Amino acid sequence: MRPPASLTTRLTLLFVLVSSSVLLGLAWVLHTAVERHFVEMDRDILQSKVNVLERLLKRPPAAEELTALQSAVVDMFRSDPELKVFVETADGNPILSPGDIAFPGEKLRNLANGSTPRVFSWWDNGSRYRGLVKAVQPALPDFKPMIVVAAINIDHHERFMERYSRTLSAFIPVAAILSGFLGWRATRRGLAPLRLIEERAASVTASQLNHRLPEDAAPRELTGLAYELNCMLDRLEEAFRRLSNFSSDLAHEMRTPVSNLLTQTQVALSQPRSQREYQEILASSSEELDRLSRMIGDMLFLAKADNGLSLPSVQDIRMHEEMSELLEFYDALAEEEGVRLITSGRAMVRGNRLMLRRAFSNLLSNAVRHADEGGRVGVSIAEHDSTVSVSVENTGEPILPEELTRVFERFYRADDARPRYQDSTGGLGLGLAITRAIVRAHGGDVTASSAQGVARFIVTLPRVPEERVAGVPV
Amino acid sequence: MTQWQNALGTERENGMKVLIVEDERKTGTYLQQGLTEAGYTVDLATDGVEGLHQALTGHHDLVVLDVMLPNMDGWQILETLRRGGRDMPVLFLTARDQVEDRVRGLELGADDYLVKPFAFSELLARVCTLLRRGRVEPEPTTLRVADLELDLLGHRATRAGQRIDLTAKEFALLELFMRRRSEVLPRSLIASQVWDMNFDSDTNVVEVAVRRLRRKIDEPFDTRLIRTIRGMGYVMEVEGGA
Repeated sequence: MRPPASLTTRLTLLFVLVSSSVLLGLAWVLHTAVERHFVEMDRDILQSKVNVLERLLKRPPAAEELTALQSAVVDMFRSDPELKVFVETADGNPILSPGDIAFPGEKLRNLANGSTPRVFSWWDNGSRYRGLVKAVQPALPDFKPMIVVAAINIDHHERFMERYSRTLSAFIPVAAILSGFLGWRATRRGLAPLRLIEERAASVTASQLNHRLPEDAAPRELTGLAYELNCMLDRLEEAFRRLSNFSSDLAHEMRTPVSNLLTQTQVALSQPRSQREYQEILASSSEELDRLSRMIGDMLFLAKADNGLSLPSVQDIRMHEEMSELLEFYDALAEEEGVRLITSGRAMVRGNRLMLRRAFSNLLSNAVRHADEGGRVGVSIAEHDSTVSVSVENTGEPILPEELTRVFERFYRADDARPRYQDSTGGLGLGLAITRAIVRAHGGDVTASSAQGVARFIVTLPRVPEERVAGVPV
Repeated sequence: MTQWQNALGTERENGMKVLIVEDERKTGTYLQQGLTEAGYTVDLATDGVEGLHQALTGHHDLVVLDVMLPNMDGWQILETLRRGGRDMPVLFLTARDQVEDRVRGLELGADDYLVKPFAFSELLARVCTLLRRGRVEPEPTTLRVADLELDLLGHRATRAGQRIDLTAKEFALLELFMRRRSEVLPRSLIASQVWDMNFDSDTNVVEVAVRRLRRKIDEPFDTRLIRTIRGMGYVMEVEGGA
């Protein structure tokens, strides 16, 4: 496909087109107006002459008086040598006729119907004439009506109009070219901010994502564009930041276990050891590697979630049933730790069962781990107008206010004094981040709060009306 | 014989033939060694074309197939095998845990898949499962390991004639151990089989559950049946060989 013509070209052409059509239209209007003005002017002159003639002819001349009439007319219009007078009877007998020009007899007879005078023009012998024709009914009986015409030569009008047209036809192209040029200049100037934006945009690179387009300097029409582009850059910068944080987190979190493994292996190799010792070392390596492998899996899951997690399959889930199965899983652990598990409420949600199970499993695991000895972990499910909330709470150490949002960050652990990797509770610091990613992929959200010795995580999910689900076989 | 070879050594009498198609040399060699020591006869192919050739001619009972291979990828091999009427179980190894990949693999007739990195114990457990799948065994109503007896119909466990009270999940856990005696069961497999937790969950939970089960079926008696294999998982077997 041919690329569209440049804006400058298009606007310049538009200027040329608009200015030439405006000028042409104007020229036509003026031309018509001047011509009409000439007609009016001539009509006034001719009208008075026709009136005089009419008076003369009210008393019609006898044939023998024709010469006298002619000379009376000649006398009367002596001061006006340009005027041509023509009179004939209705059946076409000329009574008075100037010798030097011919009148279009047929046309006259057609025009001279009724009593209103009519203006007309014709060509004769290379000159143009305009005449006023009127039918006159002599006052005496037995006289047929007569046709009276007064005409003048209008060559000078013609010459004027011709000069006018010539001038305009020279002027219009020049004016069009001129306005095209001005339009081109104006467009170039008008589009200058675009070039500025272009230059700035060119300066944005991965390492300089903080550059922004000038929103204030741009004209109003472009501020919207600049603003949207800046928003896009904000989003890109954020995504880019997350990505680089992700890589550095990953590198950081992997460095410790990898260096442990390396040290352990090299120390083991430095001298011969008993088989039992080797087994011990390999087993410990295996545990460490297992953690690493799980961490890689979790990190990959989160990385995918950052790009928008898609749910492989969706089904209706009875939240209460799901939660009691999960509690069954944690039952033994909780009993060992002296923690009571309590659940209440029921609701229906729609989602991917495996993923939701994973999300809530992380929350429960977190709650059981942080509950104090002899404390409790409570799960309560509640239905609201359009949402279902599942709260997982545990008694014990409160979460500090500044930690409430940070707990969902990758590798965040409540107790940072602990070595980051060797978290005695076995957590990788990814569980809650995974929970949040899954819940968000389901169109919900999770928040943390802490009050009166209870740490509480509340997951909100879109609600599925129970009746809609009633007919679905389980 | 090392500790875990002993634990894994009971499949040996079967002499099952396994083909590994894996281009990463170290991975391939380790897998071969691991499976050989677990009692299988193992062939290793390091590229797609050779892998397909061996799979078509070698009469293997199971193929472990890497997806990304030089010359011919795992999908193509699987497709050709199935078209050629070879219906031995195929276990896919993939570095990409994309849902599309899984779906595609299963559509093409893969029997199971593992996402790299995976634990060897997990692979071994899956291989055992796949090989057992083909065999027709009468469904037992009673499982027996040494003097431990599990009545599946009556939901009753006894050891040395003593009745042992178990919760439903403890019963399920014990049944898993007894059905798969002498196999090392990784924690993730136990979590998935007993509690349907098909993802990396809190492994403490499995440890606690096994500890509580041991307290009931092992500690009051002379011999221990459930052993911990460090770094791998748990195994139920009679000490000193069955």
